[in-house]
Amino acid sequence: MGQRGGWGQISALSWQQEGVGLEGAGISLAKIVFHLSRKVTSIVPESCLLILLGLGLGGIVLAVAKKAEYQLEPNMFFLFLLPPIVLDSGYFMPSRLFFDNIGAILTYAVVGTLWNSFTTGAALWGLHQAGLMDPGIEAGLMDFLLFGSLISAVDPVAVLAVFEEVHVNETLFIIVFGESLLNDAVTVVLYKVFNSFVELGPARIHATDYVKGVASFFLVSLGGTAVGLLFAFLLALITRFTKRVRIIEPLFVFLLAYVAYLAAEMVSLSSILAVTFCGICCKKYVEANISQKSRTTVKYTMKTLASSSETIIFMFLGISAVDTSKWAWDTALVLGTLFFILLFRAVGVVLQTCVLNRFRLIPLDRIDQVVMSYGGLRGAVAFALVILLDRAKVKAKDYFVATTIVVVFFTVIVQGLTIKPLVTWLKVKRSDHHKPTLNEELHEHAFDHILAAVEDIVGHHGYHYWRDKWEQFDKKYLSQLLMRKSAYRLRDEIWDVYYKLNIRDAISFVDQGGHVLSAAKLALPSMPSRTSMSESSVTNLLRESGSGACLDLQVIDTVRSRRDKEDAAMHHVLRGSLYKPRRRYKASYSRHFISPDKQERQDKEIFRQNMKRRLETFKSTKHNVCSSKSKARLKEKGRKKKNISLTSDTPNGKTHRNVPWQEAAPVLVMVSSEEEESDSSETEREDDEGIVFIARATDEVLQGKTTPGSLDVCPSPCIIPPSPTLAEKELPWKGDQADLAVYVSSETTKIVPVDMQKAWNQSISSLESIASPPGIESGSQHRRFACPVLEEQPQSANQAMSEQSSCFQFPSHISKSGRSQSDSSPDGAEQQELQPLMATEEQGRMVPTTEPRWLMFNRASHL
Amino acid sequence: MKGPICKVYLSQDCTFFTRKEILRLFDRYRDLAPQLVPLDYTGKPAVTLPYELIGSMPELKDNPFRQRIAEVFSENGDGNMTLDDFLDMFSVLSEMAPRDLKAYYAFKIYDFNNDDYICKSDLEKTVNKLTRNELTPEEVNLVCDKVIYEADVDNDGKLSLEDFQHMIIRAPDFLSPYRSSPFSDTVSG
Repeated sequence: MGQRGGWGQISALSWQQEGVGLEGAGISLAKIVFHLSRKVTSIVPESCLLILLGLGLGGIVLAVAKKAEYQLEPNMFFLFLLPPIVLDSGYFMPSRLFFDNIGAILTYAVVGTLWNSFTTGAALWGLHQAGLMDPGIEAGLMDFLLFGSLISAVDPVAVLAVFEEVHVNETLFIIVFGESLLNDAVTVVLYKVFNSFVELGPARIHATDYVKGVASFFLVSLGGTAVGLLFAFLLALITRFTKRVRIIEPLFVFLLAYVAYLAAEMVSLSSILAVTFCGICCKKYVEANISQKSRTTVKYTMKTLASSSETIIFMFLGISAVDTSKWAWDTALVLGTLFFILLFRAVGVVLQTCVLNRFRLIPLDRIDQVVMSYGGLRGAVAFALVILLDRAKVKAKDYFVATTIVVVFFTVIVQGLTIKPLVTWLKVKRSDHHKPTLNEELHEHAFDHILAAVEDIVGHHGYHYWRDKWEQFDKKYLSQLLMRKSAYRLRDEIWDVYYKLNIRDAISFVDQGGHVLSAAKLALPSMPSRTSMSESSVTNLLRESGSGACLDLQVIDTVRSRRDKEDAAMHHVLRGSLYKPRRRYKASYSRHFISPDKQERQDKEIFRQNMKRRLETFKSTKHNVCSSKSKARLKEKGRKKKNISLTSDTPNGKTHRNVPWQEAAPVLVMVSSEEEESDSSETEREDDEGIVFIARATDEVLQGKTTPGSLDVCPSPCIIPPSPTLAEKELPWKGDQADLAVYVSSETTKIVPVDMQKAWNQSISSLESIASPPGIESGSQHRRFACPVLEEQPQSANQAMSEQSSCFQFPSHISKSGRSQSDSSPDGAEQQELQPLMATEEQGRMVPTTEPRWLMFNRASHL
Repeated sequence: MKGPICKVYLSQDCTFFTRKEILRLFDRYRDLAPQLVPLDYTGKPAVTLPYELIGSMPELKDNPFRQRIAEVFSENGDGNMTLDDFLDMFSVLSEMAPRDLKAYYAFKIYDFNNDDYICKSDLEKTVNKLTRNELTPEEVNLVCDKVIYEADVDNDGKLSLEDFQHMIIRAPDFLSPYRSSPFSDTVSG
């Protein structure tokens, strides 16, 4: 237990003084260690480990300091630790799934919690009346009901921590998880009502108080939800206007969500509901409004905060449990509570499911019910609430604290440990990711259509009717109001980006000669040849590793047996061309992993459709007359050109240029260059169409034009650090270049895309004319390029190096930093998150310059 | 005024339906062609809605199966619908209806040539409808071969109702793309 040793040291050094900071760091370290040992975490849930670790730590502290120093302060818990977790769960809540099951979730959350707390409280009181408990426990019916209310709420933190690792099916998960989030309102109300009842004393409670209690439930829950919605609206509205201050976008998200929490807390509404609904509702608009980078930041920060909060909570639970001064043990109470919460949870679940199943097409079967009742974990919320009790009024507080701690530990550790084997043993339907069979795919689609048609004919509008209404309303008013214009057209833009990607992929397919035809027609004999191709050609490898949007057809290459191959191919064909009806998407939630959301999946679908169409057009145009070998080289030439532009600033750059492909296939050059030209111009055209009004894209185009220009006139030091903004472009030293016709045109064509297209074509052709002749002249001088295919990688590395050494000539240091970054980081970093950006990345690769990338990073450094 | 309808239909073997649903369906049915359908349904007049009326509904414009559905559910197979057919149709949607019934209707819808088997030509039709004729004949052919190969338990080259049901059992979420939400009836318009 390495982490424990480390902890011992820390605590010995400065345990007394250290605040949450060091602890947090230590805890995170511990977490890393836990996750390193897959074997441990696969059996024991992380929450158990953390609690145990906390126990150990608390013990050490107790031994060293002779008194318990730290414990989970309710204030800290409710003000700082809980909000991030709830926000995270709300924001990343699979909302479709959530609202699909909202009926069940609400039932379990409201009725279930009420049932649990009343029955548990009453049963404990009965136990007390029967004289089974220590007579020293001074508690009446109200005290026990109070205790019942706080102990009966299923805890979102604990449920998430355990269920996340169990991977039950989505419906089951969302029901338990949703319940744990939404029961907060009930818990808060019950807790407060009973607390005030206890304070008043049973004698002075009037009938009106009960009515008030019931009314306050509606007030608290609906009020909390309203606060959440209000802030979601505000948040969406604010992010609409942050175009010029991208940096603070993430801040707003967190700040407003937190303010929603505080506001709800302040007026004693349900704060958890407020944040949950704020998160659920704002997501759509916020995600559309904020920039890609902010989106990533929000995602990761939220996950980080939630994850660390969760860790700290469990840790502190462990630590606080050591504090014996607050304990008062009573075996009967503890055992009775444990027994009753398990029993009544199970009974409640069974009863409610009986009723609910009348309304569900897929009933929750017995096994689901077992998991649901067993998954009712209690956690830090109960603990914090019990600590909050006033000892003067609730005389049995110490007993309650002890019992709560035991219950929490029991549920988290024992149930947490056993739920996984239980789920396996009961063969609970897991969330499965198997590929559907062809039949399923086909018939499911057919059935979606059929059911939709039947619904339409008989005019039966169920749930979908209201959802449609809502979507209409959202589209008509909300989105108009809350999304900025550009984001509102986001779909179109995405479409364009994918369109570009399509063309790029299509080009690389053309690279492979007749394989486009064969792949589209599914002539299977071509598969082997494709694999052998990809082994031999570096460009292919490059594309495979570099392309974010990998075609399914490429995946097929890895499938071994012939039958599988056929199956996969079939699936691809079907998938690609199936006409999709309105459909539901599977959704999931995880605290530690960010899953691609619905949007992306839809885009993928569009992409597939699109790709299919592109392939068809390519098939028909017979673009690929040359042999596959020459095609491969063509692609490679694209790479080389990138190198050319890289080397062009070295003094003898010209002699390096164009050698490899020239030498390898002198005859083919002319043909392929023509094709290259047409291809790339076509690509660029799409580029223009798609994102002409976006800052980065125009920059890219602009840069694309300056490069050939600079090549034309002053080959060596004059690759100017690209100008990202209009203002910078106006700078005098930039003006020197403006004598080039090409460059001038770029000024004007920023507004008129058609002109730009022409200009681009011009620039391409000029580039071609520059690029080819010297290559032919100095073709055979450089023997080290004799085997271009294999040396591809080292070369570019070499050249990048030499370029690094010679980049002192550059006017500003920015370009230097930008360049060094551009060589290493962008690909890996950006690929993870920014699918749309991939297009421009790849663009940079296809179009014979790398400058766009420098440009982007220059911009970053400007920021 | 509407009481008799309920009596007529509730007394029949329409156990899946509630009174409210029948009333609503009748209203819907009547809305499609107010001039054809009488309000008083006591004598069970022989009224049929022509397919053209149903097929021209804007909601169905894009649906590839609209004609087939109407044909299957209409009594004489020509796509014209009586109120009975309407109720039948609704029964497929009804959550009370057993899975077998749904599977049966699904099968019937697929079975374009009404020979009680889904044979290759049926599948080809389905695939073509689903893909809006975007696939080439060879591709369709391949897909159909695959589908039959996958689900054909008795190896007779076509899918019987048993094959079909067997396949549905394997996919538990099948047939439930729409009605998985509880309380959907309570919010139905």
